[in-house]
Amino acid sequence: MSGAKKRNFQIEAFKHRVVVDPKDAEKAWNILEHAIHEIYNYNARGFVFEDLYRTAYYMVYHRFGEKLYSGLVSTMTSHQKEIAKSIEAVQGAMFLEELNRNWTEHNTALRMIRDILMYMDRTFIPSTHKTRIHELGLNLWRDNIIHSSKIQTRLQDTLLELVQSERSGDVINRGLTRNITKMLMDLGPSVYEEIFEKPFLDVSSDFYRVESQQVIEHCDCGDYLKKAEERLNEEIERVSHYLDARSEAKITRVVEKEMIESHMHRLVHMENSGLVSMIMDEKFEDLGRMYNLLLRVPSGLTIMKDVMISHIRETGKDLVTDPERLKDPINFVQELLDKKDRLDKIINLAFNDDKDFQNALSSSFEYFINLNPRSPEFISLFVDDKLRNGLKKDKEEEIELVLDKVTMLFRYLEEKDLFEKYYQQHLAKRLLSGKTSSDAERSFIVKLKTECAYQFTSKLEGM
Amino acid sequence: MKKEETVKLISAEGFEFVIDKKAAMVSQTIRNMLTSPGSFAETEHGEVTFPEISTTILEKICQYFYWSLQYASGKETEFHIEPELTLELMMAANYLHT
Repeated sequence: MSGAKKRNFQIEAFKHRVVVDPKDAEKAWNILEHAIHEIYNYNARGFVFEDLYRTAYYMVYHRFGEKLYSGLVSTMTSHQKEIAKSIEAVQGAMFLEELNRNWTEHNTALRMIRDILMYMDRTFIPSTHKTRIHELGLNLWRDNIIHSSKIQTRLQDTLLELVQSERSGDVINRGLTRNITKMLMDLGPSVYEEIFEKPFLDVSSDFYRVESQQVIEHCDCGDYLKKAEERLNEEIERVSHYLDARSEAKITRVVEKEMIESHMHRLVHMENSGLVSMIMDEKFEDLGRMYNLLLRVPSGLTIMKDVMISHIRETGKDLVTDPERLKDPINFVQELLDKKDRLDKIINLAFNDDKDFQNALSSSFEYFINLNPRSPEFISLFVDDKLRNGLKKDKEEEIELVLDKVTMLFRYLEEKDLFEKYYQQHLAKRLLSGKTSSDAERSFIVKLKTECAYQFTSKLEGM
Repeated sequence: MKKEETVKLISAEGFEFVIDKKAAMVSQTIRNMLTSPGSFAETEHGEVTFPEISTTILEKICQYFYWSLQYASGKETEFHIEPELTLELMMAANYLHT
């Protein structure tokens, strides 16, 4: 039993058309107008739905739909103007509550009105391309209440004040605020953006600009980053509690820009607390935090990488050119290994095994290891020592591990031929003296072979 | 049929049809009536009067409600309409948004 429109046409052809007196239509309208008034005054108890529905039905059926619709518009508009006045008159803190209460009541009333006038809503309105009742109600609310100049400014200011006081540590009524922002979203995303989101982002930008300036003057790098992370999390939590989800990306962008991006150079380079001192003091938590925060902003990680590279190069250079160290080759190599271990640990624990950082580490090592022409010889001496004497002290697996790491150093050498020359000499001596295990020797040579093959084929693959 | 789940439909002549709410709500109009916020007389007393719908038609409509529920749950039977009822039945259907 649907497709009523088609049958309407047929029915007219057969049915004897009753000409309805405009006076009857006027009467009908008065009944409905009265009902709407009572609904708005929350006084609709006891009304007979069917009566009202039928009255509206007959108005539309007998071609008085236009009168009904325009009557509806003007009645709703005048009610809303009254509501606007009463909201405007509210003093102080009750403003949002009053607004919220009226909004809830308005929605209930709107629903009841639409139910009574359902016949018009589904037949007359679509065929005349007018706005449907629910949307009409929202639009009228938007035009008369939200866009009323007094209410709009006050609403905006109140919302922004709430956010500000929460940022300073006060507790605010989040439930009420959420209802209000939801109301704005219901009225249309553009209303939400215009009335709330855009000013919110502007004010937040200023706020964080000022705050970041203050904090950076008084805090060292680690503490500043902690504060930045706190604020970031705070904003995310704020959005989840009483803002629209779409605002999250926008506000986090603001915080990232003002607190991180604007100051990242200064932070990373900070004396005694920036990236370099964090690396030297192995402050994994701080390093991890810096990595995660700078990850969010463009070129953030590039700065970290550059600083790290220059630090490794410098300290590495000091290491390999220090005349004292050069007197003890075994120790020299051991220190290189330790250095690599420390940095590997940082990249693993704090930088999430980031490949870019691993590559940066490798290239820095490559740089300084070859500054000392005796590096290949020293490495060979180290291996020699391990293979001769190591098996007495350490277990086989430990030796394996150390030799694996030495293979990495071997990779960084430019003068691999030089290394081979020394290695042959030392190997010969070891074999002659019998002070070595042939398994261990073989396995190390396999490692070298794999390494060379890797280098060889990687060049080919590069081509 | 429990009382809370039924609704009474009253025809122009005063005949009372007590049917399940579920059946009655096949009509969008009746559904809105019963679920609208605010306290209309119908929801308070659980009865709806249709002064413009005759008993015969209202009876046929109640039959339609039940047939419609059955059809929706798989039983594809026919719903027979006597030709002389058609006109009024269609008007009532339009009115009740069924």
